[in-house]
Parts: sequence; C-alpha cells; structure tokens
Amino acid sequence: DCCIAEGDAIKVYVRVRPPSRGPGCDDGDQSLCLSVLSSNTLRLHSKPEPKIFTFDHVADVETTQESVFSSVAKSIVESCMSGYNGTIFCLNLLNIYFSLYTNESSLGPPDSDNFTHNLRGVIPRSFEYLFFLIEREKEKAGTGKSFLCKCSFIEIYNEHIFDLLDSASAGLLLREHIKKGVFVVGAVEQVLTSAAEAYQVLTMGWRNRRVASTSMNRESSRSHAVFTITVESMEKSNEIVNIRSSLLNLVDLAGSERQKDTHTEGVRLKEAGNINRSLSCLGQVITALVDVGNGKQRHICYRDSKLTFLLRDSLGGNAKTCIIANVHPGSRCFGETLSTLNFAQRAKLIKNKAIVNEDTQGNVS
Amino acid sequence: MATPTGWASLCDKFRSSLSLSTVESKKDPENEPYRSKYSARELLEEIRQLLGSEEAGEAEGDEAAARLRAARLAVLEYELGVNHTDTQERSAGEEHLVKCIELLQRHRLSRDCVCLYIQAQNSLGILWSERDDIKTAQTYLESAEVLYNQYMKENGNPPLDPNEHFMAEEERLTDQERSKRFEKAYTHTLYYLAQVYQHLEMIEKAAQYCHTTLKRQLEYSGYYPVEWALNAATLSQYYLTKQCFMESRHCLAAASVIFSQAGQAPSAEDNETEQDQQDLCQRKAEIARCWIKYCLNIVQGARKLLEDNIGELDPDRQSELKAQRKKEEDEKERGRKKAVLFGTSDLCDSILAMEEKVSCVFPLDFQEAREVFLVGQNYVNEAKDFFQVDGYVTDHIEIVQDHSALFKVLAFFEEDYERRCRMHKRRVDMLEPICADLNPQYYLLISRQLQFELADTYYEMMDLKVAIGNRLEELDSHTIKKINSLAQLAIKFYELFLDSLRNPDKVFPEKLEEDVLRPAMVAKFHIARLYGKLITSDGKKQLENMQTSLEYYTFLVDYCEKHPDAVQAIETELELSREMVGLLPTRMERLRVKLSSFT
Repeated sequence: DCCIAEGDAIKVYVRVRPPSRGPGCDDGDQSLCLSVLSSNTLRLHSKPEPKIFTFDHVADVETTQESVFSSVAKSIVESCMSGYNGTIFCLNLLNIYFSLYTNESSLGPPDSDNFTHNLRGVIPRSFEYLFFLIEREKEKAGTGKSFLCKCSFIEIYNEHIFDLLDSASAGLLLREHIKKGVFVVGAVEQVLTSAAEAYQVLTMGWRNRRVASTSMNRESSRSHAVFTITVESMEKSNEIVNIRSSLLNLVDLAGSERQKDTHTEGVRLKEAGNINRSLSCLGQVITALVDVGNGKQRHICYRDSKLTFLLRDSLGGNAKTCIIANVHPGSRCFGETLSTLNFAQRAKLIKNKAIVNEDTQGNVS
Repeated sequence: MATPTGWASLCDKFRSSLSLSTVESKKDPENEPYRSKYSARELLEEIRQLLGSEEAGEAEGDEAAARLRAARLAVLEYELGVNHTDTQERSAGEEHLVKCIELLQRHRLSRDCVCLYIQAQNSLGILWSERDDIKTAQTYLESAEVLYNQYMKENGNPPLDPNEHFMAEEERLTDQERSKRFEKAYTHTLYYLAQVYQHLEMIEKAAQYCHTTLKRQLEYSGYYPVEWALNAATLSQYYLTKQCFMESRHCLAAASVIFSQAGQAPSAEDNETEQDQQDLCQRKAEIARCWIKYCLNIVQGARKLLEDNIGELDPDRQSELKAQRKKEEDEKERGRKKAVLFGTSDLCDSILAMEEKVSCVFPLDFQEAREVFLVGQNYVNEAKDFFQVDGYVTDHIEIVQDHSALFKVLAFFEEDYERRCRMHKRRVDMLEPICADLNPQYYLLISRQLQFELADTYYEMMDLKVAIGNRLEELDSHTIKKINSLAQLAIKFYELFLDSLRNPDKVFPEKLEEDVLRPAMVAKFHIARLYGKLITSDGKKQLENMQTSLEYYTFLVDYCEKHPDAVQAIETELELSREMVGLLPTRMERLRVKLSSFT
C-alpha cells in the first residue's frame, strides 16, 4: 500500500560531490562536514549534535552520471511519454546540464560536441532518452502515429521573466489559458527533432543567463531557469484522431536567491532595506498569519512567486516530480550544505492539497 | 579636534561612502554585485583610522567630547557592520555592530545616540535571524522597543540622525526631519518584531504588531498607497479567519480609501506604462476579492449560528439572537474604541463612511442577508472586470466559485422553496459552462472542485423538488420528470469527479490519497442514494436502480474493510451504507416476488 501512495510524492535525491572542488570551497581545508551512512541517509557533522537526514536516495562521490540519471530522472521521462506532466528540479547543480566534473569552475557550458562525453549530466541524458522513446513509439505504431516536440527556455530573475531563446526580449508575462494552462506570453518556441538539437538550444540559451560572483562565492546562479519540452503525439485510427500532450520541465533553481522563494523560507526576517524606503515585505508577513487560519474562506492579495505559479501543476495533482540536490562535503561549505539539505527535506512536503469543497449539510438524513 | 579642512574632507569621505553603498551599489554590474559596497567599506575604514589616530592624543577630554568621539566611532562601526552583513560576511558584521553598541552603552538615552542605538539593535536582530536564531534576534529587538519607549517618556526631543555626526553645522537636519527618521527606525523595530512573533508562532501578537506598523506608516507618511492598501486588505483576511468582523471591515475600508487616493494622485514618475495601469487595476480587483470574502464569511457565520440539526433555519434561535443583538448595540460604541483605528480625523471620517455600506454584525434574516449578498455581488462584478477568464483562469473561477457560494448561503435564508431552487439554478448556470471548458490536465484540482460542487448543487435542487412534490396531493408527471433529471445530472457530475481520480489507463486507484478520500467516498455514497431516489413505474427498472445503489453502498463497506484507516473520515456514511447493504437485498427480493406474481 505504501508504495502506491509514495508513487505520487516528490522524490528527493541528494548527491554528494567530490571534495575540494566547487566555488568557495577549494582552498586548503580538506575536512569534511558530512558523511554518507547508507543509500538513503547521511550525517551532517553539526554542533553540538550531528544531524541525520533521510532522503529517497543519497549518492556518494563515486556515483556515475548514468546512475544518477537512471535512478531518478528516467522514470520521469517515461511518465511524460504516458501522458503525465513531469518536472525535474535541480538544486546547486550549476552544471547539471553538463558534466559535473569537467567544467565546475567555468560559467558556461562546454562546447556542444561534449554532448557525447560520458560524463555528461542528467539533462542531456534526459533528452536522449526522450527521443529514444519517441523513436521506439513511432516504429511500433508505424505511420499512424506522429510526434511534435517543442521547447522553450526561460529565466526568472528577481521575479521578472526573460526569454533565454530571445535575448532581446524583456519582462514577459505569465498568463493562463483555459485549455492550455499556464504559459509565458510571447516566449519563443522552437521545434525539436533530435536530442542533439535540444542540447544545442539549451547551450545557446545558457549563455544568456545571469550569473554573479562575490568574494565568498566565485560563481553562483542568481536566477531560476526553466527548460520546457512539450511532447505532442497524434494517433490516427479509423478516422478518429487522438491527440495527447504533456510537458517535461527541467528546472535549475537559483543558489543564493533560493531562500527567497515562497514555501522555502527559513526563519530569517525580511529586511526593510534602506531606512527611507517602505516596508515592502510586510504583506508577506501578514500573508503568513492568514495562512494559519483553518478552513475559513479568505483571499490573499499576494501571489505566489512566479516560479511556483509557473510550475503549479508540478507540485502535486497529476504530475510527477523529483528533486536532485547537490551538496559539497567540505567543512567550509557547511552553511550552504545545511540550507540545501533543509530545503530538500522541506520540498518533500510540498504538495498542492486537493481540497474539494464538500458540504454534507442536510444530506445524510 | 582635527583642522577644519581635515574634518571637512573626513565628512566628504563619509558622504561618499554612504552614496556608494546606498545609491551606487544599485547600479553595480550583475557579475560584481558588491563592488560599490567594497569601495564604501574601504572609505569607512580609512575614516576610522584617521579619526582614531588624530584623537588618540587628547584622550583626557571632558565628558561631552568623549561622548562625541564615541558616537562618531559608533557610527563608523555601525556602517561597517551593516556593510559586512550586506556582503554576506556575518561574523565580521556582528563584531562591528556589537562594538557600536558597546561604545554607545553609557550614552544610549542621550539625544545624539538613541537613534543610532536603536538602528544597531535592529541590525543585530536581522543578523541573528539570518543565523536562524530567532530568540537572540528577539532580545535585541525587544530591547530596542524598550529603549524607544523610555526615551520618549524621559526626553522626547527629536534625536540626532546618526549621519549628522559627520555633517557640518549648517547641514544639520531640521527637528521635523530628525523626528521622521527616528520614528521610522522605530517602525522598523516593530516591523521586525512582527516577524519575530510570527516565526515564534505568537500569531495574535504578530498581527497586532503588523497592525501597529501599518498605523505608523500612515501617521508618518512612510508608505506607498497601493502597497499599504494591499497590506491592510490582507490583514483584514487575518481578522476574518478569527471572526473579528469589525476589525476586518475597518482594514478593508481603510484599504479602499487609501487605494482610491493612490488612483487620484498623479504618479510619482510620469512615465506610467500600460503595465503599471494594469497592475493598478489588478490591485483594485484584489481588494474587491477581499471584500467578497468578507461578505461571504459574515453570512456563512450567521448561517452556522442559525441552522438547526438538519441545516434549516431555526426560528427560535433567530428571535433569540435578534433580542441579544439589540442589547449589544448599546455596547457597540465601547467596543469600537478598543480597536486600533487607522488615520487621523479626515482620513478616519472617509474610512467610517466606507464602513457604513456594509454591516459588521451577523445578518439574521433574509432581508439582512440579502443586503450583504448584494454588496458582495457588486464586488464580484468588480473583480471579474479584471480577472477575466482569458488570461486569468484560476482567479476567474475562484471568483465565480465565491459568487456561487454567496448564492448558496443566501438560499439558506430563503423560505420559498421554488425561489430557493432558482438560486441554485443560478449557481449551475455560472459553473457548468466553465467546468465544460476547463482542461483537467492543467487544472485538475479546480476541475474536481467544480464537478463536485455541480453534483452537490443538483443534489440539493433534487431534494428541494422532492420537498415541493411532497406537499402535493399526488406527484404530477412534470415534477417526477424534473426530479429524475436532476438526480441524473447529480450522478453525472459525481461520476465525472470519480473518473478524475483514475490514472491515464482509466483504472480506479486501489487506495485513495488522503486528500481525496472523503470527497470520493461521499460521491459514492451520494450516487448510491440518488439511485435509490429515482422514480419509476417500471418495476424492472426499479430493480436495476436498487441493484446499482447496492453496488455503490457495497463499495464503501468493502473499501473500509480493506482500509480500516478510512473509517474515521466517513463514519456516518459508512454506518448508513452498512445498514443499506443489509436492507436492500431483502427489499429487492420482495420486489422480485411482487413483479413475478404479476406476470
């Protein structure tokens, strides 16, 4: 029974990356702040008490890219083919799209010929697998079935939406369509015919992202990036046309900005900023108070963040979702690691509650 | 003291550092976000060194000179502390801020130090919250609160702004400006405390601090009208969940009044774009939605008070409550004074005028309920103007759902069954077309809600028609047809809801998810009952209906046998189902016998 229920929960996969690599963590200090206990637990050497975290899967530094892909992302791609919308969230994986080992300190992706490299990341593997499944379907069904794949690539930075496939555009809007769901008005959609093409589009868009460096972090992504593939299939049998479509979202969550997201807030206070400016976050504080209200009808004036709005379907309902989080084991990264683990743990609880207003008044009589 | 020119250049440096960290830093390139902050830090350290070395010689100064020197150094420590925290170097930031406080400790109640002291405590509060130590943050902030009150009681003169310590005499601020800045610093203390209490789950206290923060923003005109209005409207929703209708209405009225002022005022920058206009319209619609919820809650609350055990209006309770209300009316004035009111006289008058448009006590009869309903319906139309289905699907449907809920609760107060039925028909008319258009692949949740609500509405209409029919001598064919078709429609929508639980291969889940368990079971149960209510003169058909009914009752019983944890959620329904599973076969058998004896 529990397995059936678990099928719909968000799966969280934590990966420990090799020490002495990665931004801000590569100077001398080799002591570690965590150890992997088993395939689903790890211990963080926090003081005074060490803390044990449990996830769906914990991968140590030896894990290969292939194994990350097949234990977590593969099933999401598969359910996308059977009509579910799927989402893969990546945390602290600036290089999830690409190799984890070879390009850690470079801001951009490697050249597109690296696509075939056997250290390539989860995303290119997902592309390959998706197109492999499509080809297989086509062969099985013969001429009766055809597929159309389109993709878009957008960035959410400071609650503004930018089209990474059209660097000239700025400030796009999110809207809803009664048949097609949430969409970004005016976002470029590109038709894809192969995995290599998908990788090319991704590489191109990636160069338009916003990245920042501080004296603490040599590089950190400041924005969320969402790469969306729409898979549409059309099947003709006996004059009846059957159209099915689903989405695959590949989301790269921002590092330093992540805490600002709705639902993921720690206990920190929101600052007023400059003494002469207004307290623009007061609304969020009040919103939190209202949310506690149980079962009463109320309206909250403040929207969820753009990211949650865009991916609302991915957080429950009829979508399959997984999270891949990457942590660095070095002691110097303790703070970042702790916040990543906390985030990943909270994420497991995120779910759209399917509240059906049910009122039995006078009905059972 | 330094030479006049030396001092002037020091002040210049200080001013540049301020402008670097507050103005320039906003223009820093994205790949070097702290460039200006780092330059500002260098300048501050330079000033501190100059100040330190120059005055080291004259250590034996008088009390006033010592205080001045301490204050100046404290300003630098404060700025350095904030600078380090801003650039993610917390430990260094803390050191500077603590040093600032130590320097000021003895003079914290003096006019030249109190403001800086409060600001430093605010910053330490923030810093500790970033370390996830909310208790320590609380200590700093509460001590800032105490200091403010003590200063205002003992002294009360507008204190110096920290930056004035590095200004020439002729640049000093006016008392009015000083007081404005001081009050703002304290408003921030309250704002942070509101958050502290929220995190500590002291919800009521947090709300009170939010309320006070809003009030102070109005008093010291430190607010953007639109933002303020939205905050007040949101706070009204907090009061709603606590059933404090008077406070809720006051917040909403204030929100509407302040918002309308924002619309009139010429925009600050004259480059108002279409996007800004759109935003403004959206905010207006958001406030309207808060009003809708207000109207809905107050009528629903009244219904809860007035209904008897089968959900009908209880006339005894009604007259009892009416008498009670008359008594309370006299005490109303006193209650009003206790609430925290927004604004000074002029503003307050507009807000009170706004409040008069809708009651803040429970409506007790149809007439009163209708008045609230009409106000709510006006806001529904206002909100729908902006949230059109094209582009705002979810918001639009939520508003329609509220409209439907308003009708539903108004129907409770209606005594005439025919008219009551027509109100439910209005609900169907608004919900059914949207439900048909909506794509459940992207709006699964909302689509289920609509299906369920439509099913329930048809169910309710059928019940009303049965009640109307029961008053007749004999059921006429028209009424029978009506009852049957309403029952069929109810079944159709319950089935649609149940179908939405199936997986892509159309298989119904073995085990239902916790959040759909109860509605799914209720749907099965209602379908069972509906088949029992279908009226037919055809005996065979009747037997078929009973058979179907039995199957649905059996589903409930079997499911609970397999999953005992489900029992708790549907106890009453389960009990009745068990009973029916026991009774129906006998009844069916009797019917079969009767049917065969006729052939």
